[in-house]
Amino acid sequence: MRTYLSICLTIVLIVLQSGCISKSKLAEDNVRSEDKEVLTVYLNDFDDIIGPMFEEATGYRIELVQGSGAELMSRIEAERGNPHWDVVWADLISSIHGLGLNGMFYEGFVPEHAAKLKETYKLLVPEGNWYYPTGAHAAAVITYNNDVLTTEEAPASWTDFSNPAFKSSVGIADPAIAAPAYAFVSSFFQQYDIEGGKAIISDWFDNGLLIYPKNPNLAMALLSGQIKVAALQESNAYNLVNQNKPVSIIWPAEGAPAAVRVAAISKETKQLEAAKAFVNFLLDPAIQQAIIDASEESYHEPSVVGVQPKSDRELNAKLLFPDIMQSYQHEAEIKQWFADFSIK
Amino acid sequence: MTLLLWILVLGPLVAVLTQILIPGFFFGNRQFGQVTLLFDVFRRPLWQHALQNSLVLSISTAVMGTLIGASLAIFRSRWHFPTARWLDVSVWLLFVTPSFIIAQGWVLFAAKNGVAAQLLGADFVTSFIFHPIGLTFIMVLSKFPLAYLAVHAALEWQVESLSHAARLTGASPVRTWFTVHIPLLKPAIGSGMALVFMDAIGDFGITATVSAVYRFPTLPYTIYSAIYTSPIRFDMAGVLSFYLIIIIMLAIVFQFYMMKGSRYDSLTAGAVRTRQKKIASKGWIATTCNVLFLFLAIGIPIGCTVFTSFVHEPSKGLAMDNWTVAHYVDLFTSNSLFVVSLLRSIKIALIAALAGLLLGAMIAYVLIFTQFRFKHLLESMSLISLAVPGVVLGIGYIFVWNQKWLESYGLLLYGKPSILILAAIAGTIPIITRIISGTMATVPRTMLDVAQLQGVALSGRIFSILLPLCKSALVTAALSAFGASMFDLAVNSILFPPSQPTLPVMINKAFENLKFGYAAAATMLGGSIVTTLIITARWLLNLNMRRKYR
Repeated sequence: MRTYLSICLTIVLIVLQSGCISKSKLAEDNVRSEDKEVLTVYLNDFDDIIGPMFEEATGYRIELVQGSGAELMSRIEAERGNPHWDVVWADLISSIHGLGLNGMFYEGFVPEHAAKLKETYKLLVPEGNWYYPTGAHAAAVITYNNDVLTTEEAPASWTDFSNPAFKSSVGIADPAIAAPAYAFVSSFFQQYDIEGGKAIISDWFDNGLLIYPKNPNLAMALLSGQIKVAALQESNAYNLVNQNKPVSIIWPAEGAPAAVRVAAISKETKQLEAAKAFVNFLLDPAIQQAIIDASEESYHEPSVVGVQPKSDRELNAKLLFPDIMQSYQHEAEIKQWFADFSIK
Repeated sequence: MTLLLWILVLGPLVAVLTQILIPGFFFGNRQFGQVTLLFDVFRRPLWQHALQNSLVLSISTAVMGTLIGASLAIFRSRWHFPTARWLDVSVWLLFVTPSFIIAQGWVLFAAKNGVAAQLLGADFVTSFIFHPIGLTFIMVLSKFPLAYLAVHAALEWQVESLSHAARLTGASPVRTWFTVHIPLLKPAIGSGMALVFMDAIGDFGITATVSAVYRFPTLPYTIYSAIYTSPIRFDMAGVLSFYLIIIIMLAIVFQFYMMKGSRYDSLTAGAVRTRQKKIASKGWIATTCNVLFLFLAIGIPIGCTVFTSFVHEPSKGLAMDNWTVAHYVDLFTSNSLFVVSLLRSIKIALIAALAGLLLGAMIAYVLIFTQFRFKHLLESMSLISLAVPGVVLGIGYIFVWNQKWLESYGLLLYGKPSILILAAIAGTIPIITRIISGTMATVPRTMLDVAQLQGVALSGRIFSILLPLCKSALVTAALSAFGASMFDLAVNSILFPPSQPTLPVMINKAFENLKFGYAAAATMLGGSIVTTLIITARWLLNLNMRRKYR
């Protein structure tokens, strides 16, 4: 009996301890959230380099929470009553604009380096100064498998996706899951209105367009020969080329839809000074240059003057910037239409 | 206990269903939503397909899985042949292996750049596997053990006089089987089929894994997509969860209806343990079929995972310079999340298993030995989480444990590992309760009554009589719960704290990011460590008990 008593006592102790672990963890979490030194940033790229760079530059401590665009937005929405983040930095300008309209951001902050924004990017800053753009990349460029297509055979324009020569051999990422894919798809709804956009994408589907959850899955399909052409996010495309994969990139003459990366501060942040320092840090030309030089993911156009993009990036890259309000207002409608239409 | 079960299971479930009527209820917005959303499942193509795909996949899996599981169990219980033990071991291995790991193995095998197409030149495998029929095939091979175990357990004893009577009246052996044994197995076949159906329709791992290559939306995956998109749609997730639960409840009612009106208590004092006959001739046919089947069910998915974990490029085959242990070394580099996520998962699963053991044992005691007025209610509540898919339970936990008012009580658990512990306990309760109550039911109540008459207090009766008799079940229950909690992908994917991934989340993310070698190495090493822990714990506990009662 003594053995069983001791076993039960052990179980009770462990369970109680788990409560204590939880409590002490809670206490630790609470302390951490009140700790003026620790800034929590939700981001979808550059998590491997930005933390140490920021800590070294400012002395503030930073905690990074990395996730896909959909994961970040889901967490932010789920935490609406009780945000766990101080700054969100992601290439989700329309979704982030929506959060601003819902009053979730700290307003009126003008970072010192904001004056260095290029004119194109100054236009993207909303009236309430909810967020600042730190750069933009092509949500998609035409990427083709050069083992199976020559430059002449490859599509030169987005409209070529409905060309019967590419029947069932073109793929794009799912706009409901991959953040850049929504920027890509919604661009056609802006250029040609809702009905015109639907007509273009319907033509692609009629030509056997294939959908993959995220850009890496799309890249895998392109390499495996499952598809011949992909509307692949810029960094993913250049990384394949850099890895000597049989892939070539085409920047269509009409331009590539832009996915704009912005940084916004939570209205309920307890680390306001650190958050401001982080946004200002991201707009610092020296930092933007350092990010481009340090990361393989940095195939993008910087938002401030005096910063050079990666040398192997297309010199005449033409980005099509979104109409943010329209993109935000029609986000649910476009995604729902796309999901329902694609399944047919 | 009822309150605890309410907090752990029913509360989150009610929270999910509340979303249908009042989508902003847990975020301070008490406005009614659109009830018409309930009918969108019959209008929206995506939802229609998700519902249709789920039903087709789970019904065909239930039928095929039960057919295969029951046939194998019947054959195994009647005949002895070389490699028969392999079947038992493999069934348990498949039973405890999470479906997403099996699915990963199949993706590595059947993808366009996978082992089958690149090494074997079998291109047809890709189009076969990434097709509704192929998914059903994977699902059947992953879920048939539930039917096998249910039927095999029912065949442990048999009343030979029934079959003798049939044979004496001129029935052939085949007819005896179909008119005597199979009808008596109806409860086991029915419950096996219901279990396979419920497990298949709630399965998240297979469709989530295969979605990287092939789109096949099901209800659990569409629920997950609704909460991992922007703008987030908790109301849609609530509606789809509602339908998922309704379908599972219908399956339970169907099973109950099947059993109603007939008696199956056929065991008498003349029952004997089923004896297996050795196959006199042509045993090699059974052996070959068994080996081929096991190769298909385990060899391909696990073999491909092992192979991928040890090569640079699976497409380069068996060339000497292709072999590497680099993926295993990568698991221990400074920026690898393997060690921390493994330790985090072990800690969560350990606490959940022990807490679940305490609660499950108490529930089992109340169910078996007390006259508690509401014990049927308690039993139903303890079983509910078995019928609630992890995806649904996960989003329910977000609603319940992310309310601002909980912060002042230190109970705002969303975003913290504690929420995973609670969800894991909820998931383990049905397993633990079933295992322990099954053994407790064999303990004669008179033993406890006699002890009580002798003046032994309740604690004495429990510690001196009940626990020694149930020791094996307690160990099995705790270790089963530990194993199940380690690899629950659905709950972990939804509730893992930011920047603190657990093992299944880490493996799945590596797989999603096409780090196949790394994901495969993490699967193999993580799985081996957990299996070793379970075997060692079992051995140590058994050793301790043997010493005690020597």
